[in-house]
Amino acid sequence: MKTEQFNIRMPKDLVQDLDIISKLLKVNKSEWVKTKLAEEVHEEKNKLLMELSTLYANGIIKKEKIESLVGKEIADEMESVKVIAQRSIKRGLEYGKLKKLHS
Amino acid sequence: MENSKNYILDTSSLISLESINILDQILNLFTIITTNSVIKELENFAKYDGRYGRIAKSILKFKKRLRIETCEIIETINYIEQTDNELYNLSLKMKLPLITDETKFVHHAREKIDIYFTPIFLAILIESKYLTKNDALNKLERLRDIRNWRSNIIYLTSKKELDKL
Repeated sequence: MKTEQFNIRMPKDLVQDLDIISKLLKVNKSEWVKTKLAEEVHEEKNKLLMELSTLYANGIIKKEKIESLVGKEIADEMESVKVIAQRSIKRGLEYGKLKKLHS
Repeated sequence: MENSKNYILDTSSLISLESINILDQILNLFTIITTNSVIKELENFAKYDGRYGRIAKSILKFKKRLRIETCEIIETINYIEQTDNELYNLSLKMKLPLITDETKFVHHAREKIDIYFTPIFLAILIESKYLTKNDALNKLERLRDIRNWRSNIIYLTSKKELDKL
């Protein structure tokens, strides 16, 4: 996995607390912080993307706005999901009509 | 109109259908095709006692009613798993619609194959009078809870489209 240096200054109390955790759990302090940060970032990112996709699905914001906020790849994927979700119901109704005719 | 009778399903769609108790009905009405890799994924889920483990066990009871195919991967989509690439190639080869709830899969395959989300079956069942609109909407709500869709695009868009009927 590619890594990048990211430095942050932390309050002394927090560093001391981390020392306690590290000793009690017998884990490397940096590794523990990295794991916790990854969990939090993943959760927060998913939560925010969910909120964004809700606004998009409800027609409150447009694809262009999403693209400007989070990039083209995510905006394109949201558009695909919306188009295919609409198409799924429409095609389902067409297939349902055929099923009715055949039975 | 072969496309309206035969569907290729992935693990996510089989789980969705069984979680709202319509897989049995769908198997009575249509030919459902899947791959050995999907069956293996379900067998792995079934080893666990959680919600998905229980659903996977129920699906495996229907194994004999599924048409299981193998398919060589000739064309690969980089962003999706091997199992999904197999299903993608099967859909290309058989020229049949593929049903999944994997958004990444849908996004990367939608220009090349007929691909839909599981709520397609709710629309089919409403139109062919096997479900009322209200039953279908209730099942969509259950699906949302079980799949943890919350207010995602699949749920909101499907609900909006079903509400119009």
